[in-house]
Amino acid sequence: MPETVLVIGGGPAGLEAARAIASIGGRALLVERRDVLGGTPDESNYAALTPRMGSAQEALDALRAGVEDPAIDVRRSTTVSACSGSVGDFRVTLSGPTGETTESVGAIVVATGFQHFDPGRETQMYGYYEYPDVITLPDAEKMLKDHRFVRPSTGEPPRNVAFIQCVGSRDRRLGNEYCSKVCCGVASKEAIEIRRLLPDTKVYIFYIDMRMYGFWENEIYWPAQEQHNVNYIRGIVTEIVGKDGRLLMKGEDTTMGRPLEVLMDVIVLSVGMEPSRGTRDVAQILGVDQNKYGFIALPGEPMDVVTTSVPGIFVAGAAAGPKDLEDTVGMAGAAALRAVGTVRGLAHAGTVAAR
Amino acid sequence: MPIPLTVLETRREARDDRGPAAPPTEDVREKVFELEAAGEWLVQRVPDPWIGVTTKYGRTKKIPVARTWHHKSCGQCGHIPGYSTSIFWLIRKLGLDYNDPRDQTSCTAWNYYASATSNQGAQAAVAMRNFGAAYESGYFPMIHCGTSYGHYKEVREELVHSAELRDEVRRICDKLGKPFVMPEEIVHYSEWVYALRDEFAKRRVLDLSGIDVTVHPACHYHKLVVEDAIYDPDVYGGQRTAVVSAVVTALGANVKDYSTWFDCCGFGFRHILVQRDFTRSFATLRKIEVMQEEANPDVVLTHDTGCVTTLDQSQFAARAHDRKVGVPVMSEAQFAALAMGAHPYRVAQLHWHNTEYRPLLEKMGIDWRERWREFEDDLARLKGDPKAFLTWEDADA
Amino acid sequence: MVLQARYDDVPIEEKERLFGQVQADARFDSYLYGCYECGICVAACPSARFYDFSPRKIAQAASRQDLPMFYEQLNDDIWNCSQCFSCTRCPRGNNPGGLITIMREVAINNGLTSAKNALEGYGRVVYKIMSTGTQVSPDMLQPNAFPDWGPHVQEISDNLGLWRRALPPDTMHTTSTAWEVDDRTLTELYLIWHMTGVLDMIKSVDAGLHMILNDVMEELLEEAGFEAG
Repeated sequence: MPETVLVIGGGPAGLEAARAIASIGGRALLVERRDVLGGTPDESNYAALTPRMGSAQEALDALRAGVEDPAIDVRRSTTVSACSGSVGDFRVTLSGPTGETTESVGAIVVATGFQHFDPGRETQMYGYYEYPDVITLPDAEKMLKDHRFVRPSTGEPPRNVAFIQCVGSRDRRLGNEYCSKVCCGVASKEAIEIRRLLPDTKVYIFYIDMRMYGFWENEIYWPAQEQHNVNYIRGIVTEIVGKDGRLLMKGEDTTMGRPLEVLMDVIVLSVGMEPSRGTRDVAQILGVDQNKYGFIALPGEPMDVVTTSVPGIFVAGAAAGPKDLEDTVGMAGAAALRAVGTVRGLAHAGTVAAR
Repeated sequence: MPIPLTVLETRREARDDRGPAAPPTEDVREKVFELEAAGEWLVQRVPDPWIGVTTKYGRTKKIPVARTWHHKSCGQCGHIPGYSTSIFWLIRKLGLDYNDPRDQTSCTAWNYYASATSNQGAQAAVAMRNFGAAYESGYFPMIHCGTSYGHYKEVREELVHSAELRDEVRRICDKLGKPFVMPEEIVHYSEWVYALRDEFAKRRVLDLSGIDVTVHPACHYHKLVVEDAIYDPDVYGGQRTAVVSAVVTALGANVKDYSTWFDCCGFGFRHILVQRDFTRSFATLRKIEVMQEEANPDVVLTHDTGCVTTLDQSQFAARAHDRKVGVPVMSEAQFAALAMGAHPYRVAQLHWHNTEYRPLLEKMGIDWRERWREFEDDLARLKGDPKAFLTWEDADA
Repeated sequence: MVLQARYDDVPIEEKERLFGQVQADARFDSYLYGCYECGICVAACPSARFYDFSPRKIAQAASRQDLPMFYEQLNDDIWNCSQCFSCTRCPRGNNPGGLITIMREVAINNGLTSAKNALEGYGRVVYKIMSTGTQVSPDMLQPNAFPDWGPHVQEISDNLGLWRRALPPDTMHTTSTAWEVDDRTLTELYLIWHMTGVLDMIKSVDAGLHMILNDVMEELLEEAGFEAG
């Protein structure tokens, strides 16, 4: 039986899973479609991590260093194009820069992650393709990574900034009825960073509910209000139009119970998570069940968060649905353990019995 | 500082990378055909030739070019007859076959939204009776009013999802001796104008490059059953409905944006009749004044009866309060007809409109004095013969 | 929309009965899911800017089955809605405007005074639509009907007959209807009103109007050989 575990995706989930596999004496084959490792935090230019404001760059570098190991075979610019076989003996076809190869692996960890919701979609009325000053959370991260925050249209710092929460999430009209979990925390974090960079700039967050669980509440939400004067206004925005060279947003201030129209210099859309193209493609190729939103289904949750519908195939990270980094690295470890246990022929290695 | 095009362009490219998104809703037309297969009703097919246009989630909608049965609007025919006349004139100009029926009732939705002195069954029965009449004629229904269109889209949803409602309405149609028919598509005339806009552009005789236009989209066109409305990735990035705006651009005039584009006109259905302070205030303060301040248009174009009425008629009272009003309002059908050389009085019937439109006609290069003299001659002739009417031949003389 | 104990004299059972009728409407379940009070409906609503009116509160009162608030809304607020359906922007899929349509029907069916008051002055339109098959007609353009539209209405009214003959479409040479409607078509419309119970709704709003309409319709139906009702 082949000893190797295939890890599909070189983002935080995949990198941590591969490292964990090697750390317990296993062998990993890590496949990444881009030519750099790091996944979405790298591609979307994450600056500081929620909630401790640690450097994303440093975190990613540590993860990358973790896979510099003779037990881990890293293939960049490579994708999985076909798969056959079953647990203990999968045959996968990889398409890479030198052509196609076929590999035999004993187990697979899917770590193909998410993509950000496209706010330029036809269901949205936020003008993402009309107004450069309407940006997304990742667009803001990119600027913050360079320690700046400006209006894309003028290059000047904005006098005010608004965040709009739940863009592309919690929406029956769109079909993405779920909550994307991290955007409240990430928006609050970015709001703090903007306030630090631009002390004269007013920052608002327009929300339906503020969701920062556990210690994110006291480490991010309260400091945002108390130390950094971020204004949280309960009420969501229906549309953004241009006016006097700025952006006009129409919402309701539900606390005060009245319609609200404000001119803003920059508006940041807190875009949610959707399954990435890779997640959709790989699910098809591997024959793994997806939930109604296209994420990898977890038949055993909540007690088993890594087993998929196919024996021998596990999942880690946002490929299974909205996850924060804490969830992701936790799942990665669990998936690594289960995968290695599988290839060593141990049916219930190190975890409760899967049902 | 000019807007860096690369920002928007970069975003559009990234959109292509992520691949197409699946439409979030079911396609009601599939259900319509399933019900036909189950023997629940007949489906009237869109006749050939038809033009495919894209709706909100990227689906194709069939717009019939000809052989259309004209579901008229009572507000248009009653108060703004130039609107209906222009629609017919456009069809005739293209030499297309159409039917202007007498076997047609109002959709009754104005009454329904105003007073609710009706119910689900009656509204659905009225719709299906009209669709039955169209089917009997062999021509495919095309809806003139935005509210009729939105309402009929809703009726379709309700009929598709309720066997009980279908049974009730089928019984009524049987008693009336009308066939129980659902058309393959519910088509608004502005969708037909959009589909044929290049044909109209080809026949344009006036230079409209100096005409600034603000467009008002009818709420009931794009907010009722949102997925069935025309969207075009080249028009507002596919995030606002493309009808009317695309036609204005095709005709060579300039579409100007304003910050209350998405707002209702304030028609209110009952408000414009019995609570008019709301309608005239809303239309003036939220639409006309904003358009004037931000876009300074030569004309406001829209594609619905109620919207033309509201925006045109509300400006008079506002002048008494020294509000910044005074921009003419008409339908895109009238505007397109004028662009193609139609008579402003015999066809566009602008003498029924309230807000001053003559400076606009001058700017468009139309000698309205001469045209009015011609029309006055027509009127004198008609006065002398109580049995005479203005004919289509007279209209183009 | 202030909860001022305005209708305390109305028994709670009555409010419950009316709410039950709204809930029992076939459309209710597709008009009201849950509401997380995001306020997007109010943001989009034209009436919310001019009246003390909130589609969000309509959805909330119905979700919570808050009978006193519902009853206040049924009497004081539903007629402020402009039925534009901008509120269908709702991310939960709710339709507050649609809830209001149902509430209006219930108000009328139960003969609420507030409904009658709201429709005062509207009788001529109801008469027009029900008896002629078109809702507005050229001869409704009278200065006393639209005084705030200015003297232009007088000009139209003075020239109405002539101007209507100066229209090329041959179905539009009418003054008392928007276009020429076949008698047969009118008969079919009357049958629809009868068979769906709409005439009974009119009765509770305006008994005089109902009487006139009934007579007009019965005559035509008899001529056409149909049994009314």
